Amino acid sequence: MNENIEQDLQKQLRKEAIRRNWNLFRQSKLGMIGLYIVIFFLFLALLQPLLFVTGIWNKGVYDPVVGYEAIKDTFLVVECPKEYPTEKYESMKDCPGDGEINVKRLYLAPGVEVGDYYEAFIQPAPPSSRHLLGTDSLGRDVFSQIMEGSQVAFVLGFLSATLGVGISTILGTIAAFFGGRVDAYLMRQSDLILMLPSLPLLFIISAFAELKVWHLAIVLGVLGGLGGSVITIKSQALQVKVKPFVDSARITGGSRWRIMFSHVLPNVAPLALLFMVFSVTGAIASESVLSFLGLLNIDMSWGIMIYLSQTDGFIFSGLEFWWLILPAGLAVTLLAGGFYLVGRGLDDVFNPRLRKR
Amino acid sequence: MGEYIIKRTLQMTVVFFLFLVFSYLLFNAIPGNAFSNLLLNPDLPPDAYQKVLELYGLDKPLFERLQLYIVNFFKGDFGYSYKSFPKTPIELIAERLPRTLMLFAIVNIVSFYTGFFIGKILAWRRGSKSETWITLTSVFSYTVFYPWFALMMLWVFGYKLGWLPIGKFLYPEKWYDAPFDSDIVFSSMIKFTIVVSLIQFAAYLATRGIESLSSRRNLRFASLIAIFIGSYFYWNNGAALIKKPYAADIAYHMILPVMVVTIVAFAGTALLTRTTMMEVLKEDYILTARAKGISQKRIRDRHAARTALLPVVTSFIFTIVTIIDGSVLTEQIFSWPGMGQLLLQSVLEEDIPVAMACFSFVGVFALVAHLLADISYSYLDPRIRIKSQG
Amino acid sequence: MSKEVLSVKNLNMHYETLSGDVHAVKDVSFSVKEGESFGLVGESGCGKTSVAMSLLQLQADNAKISSGSIQLDGVELVGMNESELRKVRWDGISIVFQGAMNAWNPVVKVGEQIREAIREHYPEKSKAENTEKIESLFQMVGLDATVIDRFPHELSGGMKQRAIIALALSCDPKVVIADEPTTALDVVIQDQILNEIKKVQQLLGLSLIYISHDIAVIAEMTDQMAVMYAGSIVEIGPTEKVFSTPKHAYTRLLLESTPSVVGEKKKLRSLDGEPPSLINEIIGCSFSPRCPDPSSDCKNPIKEMGLVEIEPGHFADNCCVDCG
Repeated sequence: MNENIEQDLQKQLRKEAIRRNWNLFRQSKLGMIGLYIVIFFLFLALLQPLLFVTGIWNKGVYDPVVGYEAIKDTFLVVECPKEYPTEKYESMKDCPGDGEINVKRLYLAPGVEVGDYYEAFIQPAPPSSRHLLGTDSLGRDVFSQIMEGSQVAFVLGFLSATLGVGISTILGTIAAFFGGRVDAYLMRQSDLILMLPSLPLLFIISAFAELKVWHLAIVLGVLGGLGGSVITIKSQALQVKVKPFVDSARITGGSRWRIMFSHVLPNVAPLALLFMVFSVTGAIASESVLSFLGLLNIDMSWGIMIYLSQTDGFIFSGLEFWWLILPAGLAVTLLAGGFYLVGRGLDDVFNPRLRKR
Repeated sequence: MGEYIIKRTLQMTVVFFLFLVFSYLLFNAIPGNAFSNLLLNPDLPPDAYQKVLELYGLDKPLFERLQLYIVNFFKGDFGYSYKSFPKTPIELIAERLPRTLMLFAIVNIVSFYTGFFIGKILAWRRGSKSETWITLTSVFSYTVFYPWFALMMLWVFGYKLGWLPIGKFLYPEKWYDAPFDSDIVFSSMIKFTIVVSLIQFAAYLATRGIESLSSRRNLRFASLIAIFIGSYFYWNNGAALIKKPYAADIAYHMILPVMVVTIVAFAGTALLTRTTMMEVLKEDYILTARAKGISQKRIRDRHAARTALLPVVTSFIFTIVTIIDGSVLTEQIFSWPGMGQLLLQSVLEEDIPVAMACFSFVGVFALVAHLLADISYSYLDPRIRIKSQG
Repeated sequence: MSKEVLSVKNLNMHYETLSGDVHAVKDVSFSVKEGESFGLVGESGCGKTSVAMSLLQLQADNAKISSGSIQLDGVELVGMNESELRKVRWDGISIVFQGAMNAWNPVVKVGEQIREAIREHYPEKSKAENTEKIESLFQMVGLDATVIDRFPHELSGGMKQRAIIALALSCDPKVVIADEPTTALDVVIQDQILNEIKKVQQLLGLSLIYISHDIAVIAEMTDQMAVMYAGSIVEIGPTEKVFSTPKHAYTRLLLESTPSVVGEKKKLRSLDGEPPSLINEIIGCSFSPRCPDPSSDCKNPIKEMGLVEIEPGHFADNCCVDCG
């Protein structure tokens, strides 16, 4: 009977604590901005399967990987002169103009002559009412790709962050708590990981292993978890360890493991949570860079989008094909930054000394 | 302290050994080898491939090769590069290293200084509008997609505006008649930078004993002027004069990468400084300082920032540790042929001796830097004295 | 007839918080003469530290002085801007903080931190002059000159406290505020420190404002004293008189709850309840909820509160003048 009351009380206390923390979080402007950004992308990530399931979007057309929409447009066939300026065109850049197409490009289409109207596929197609962000060079809807990338970012981010922080928190706390040889071993181990140059290492791994989203998450998580963050968590755990309540727990006869888990870990948890949020930032950024370098075997993600635009040669087209690069690039920056801002908001909640009042 | 260093060095040696073994196995896990593309040549005589493998010892079983490598390594023999035979890895590294060091030393110093400065201001202006804007800008410059951003800047400044060179670290045309190799110019530039920093540091230390704050500031400023004048004379006389245009050329090529990396990297330091400073600001001794009648600005710079320096310096040292790793991407984009590029190339080409040498270099660097970080931390914070730390 | 060095008139101070304004200091008035030591006593949260902070205007960002005047040697401090205030701080009024443990910057040597204070107000002094001064200060408080080159964590609690006193005296201030300087120390050291403070005060002719919740210390150290409750002064006068003929119910309870070594054994009285929250405006006598024998007048909200002179120089809150 007593136990029930105690449990109820604990539940209530927890609810109170959560509500209090939420109010504190709300006060942080930056945290709220970050939260809105994250929610927005989460919405995008969830929207896509919804659109497919409800049939609003035809999978054949809108699938980010294998969808295809052929957009045709009519062009006037012209022949571009060899010397400029002429009556119609000022310089070589102006020919062919809007709505025109150079006859030399149509050498494969027989029977087409200057002055005819020709229907051609334009790929990549600029944004239109059917494709909010246009299509890429394979006719796939860019908006759908962004949503797919959003899913990838969340999955990858959370997986690798949880794994990484989980590992480093446990190891760091163990190192702080047991000291001596255990500590020395763990420090050397993280040294070993630190010594390995990350980018070349990933190149090597991608050479003999296929890196899909799950694999990449595990690799990033393990590498991140075993590396320098162990040292940081350890120093935090050390500060907790010297607090009086740990001594009192020891005096009352708690075993080391129990003290570690029920007392020290909960106090290290806020910092760990912070780390986790920042790790997500890092994971999203890493994925985009790695995809950009062609190392990953993911079907579609923001990094892949940028990679494709680079291999297709559009990356320096200036603003002409902006929808191929800007949405993806912006998405990476915004979501990674958004998570970081959430981390800042959490910082304000967990670190009472940083609060204004 | 000495005992600690000895113990630590022993541990580091063990770790390094494991590292060597691990790296070697890793390289060999990559399918194919440095010469597999010889097989693409249809005119290749049938046994040529096998002969080549025998020549380089690649036909021996893995374990034997590993043993050979380790033994030779500790004898000091690092083998020859597969791809650039008969150059040894040491030669290659010696060629590339100064370039990376020069560029990234400057890059790191500039971005850390900028970051620390901005972080100080951020912490002090807590809650104001400018804090929000500065933080937002910092965060989004931190998370911007680096390759794209760097390429964009190259395009804008190099191509469109033509103000800065597009890549590489020199204009070959200017160097046709050069009496020296670029290495020599690089090393003299590095030496110059080191000497200047040391002089400045010495001036800082020497003026610590002076009581009056205004004369302290004046003396330090005077030392800065002295350095300027000294540099002017140095570069305009004797051997240095001849090197000057070449050094200037290199420096000119450094501007863009330094700028780009600073914009992306300053935010990390800025935000770290800000957080630490904010924790410090709530400490009681800040209140004491205020009660003493010291101005806000001075409190910020001499008390709060001083304590905030600790984690920033640690983070700086860790960045130095990963200096070569971080340089890989930048060097690729700016075509700056340095260590990072060498590392990446050797990995891609499976030029194992060179790759191993590069990895070893990075590894030793990392270990030593970590040790230095731990030691310097105890100097910066007198409360931490190394007892029997692991 | 020594002149007034510090005079505080009708000081009001409040904190702006998310839940409303907390009126922490209500209409506080007192004065301190040259060479005199003035005690301020009361429970935790009664406003004594707020008063101290207001004198130097060191309060937190969300604290504001709503009205009143603070005059140091005739110069009005309220309304001064930051740069003017900075000159007054330490040079005119200095403070010995509660918890000297954390008042020191851990990465700077002790001597350097004292030098910093002197440099701020007397930049033209040479290093040798300053060292001499610090050495003599240390001697006064019973510290060895080697402490100058030590870091704060190398000193014991008592040493740190003495160093804080030396720091407070470094610019020859006119008034020194001591805010519970011995709370964290053991009784033996406490006694030593108190003696040091007394000695120093007499030597230098300082005015001292001593803040404590320990009424016994106040009795030992001060010439004049004031009792604070819920943000306002409820009784003020010469220490002797307040102790021998306390008028306010709260003062009486305070005295009665302190055990005495001499005299017959008495049962100690204790105070029930808690001090009132200062967010809501208090009507009538602030102490009436806890007063052991309130009169019908006490709960009367219309009654004007104010200090009434009982005997020359000895004032008490008018509500309790008529009680018991």
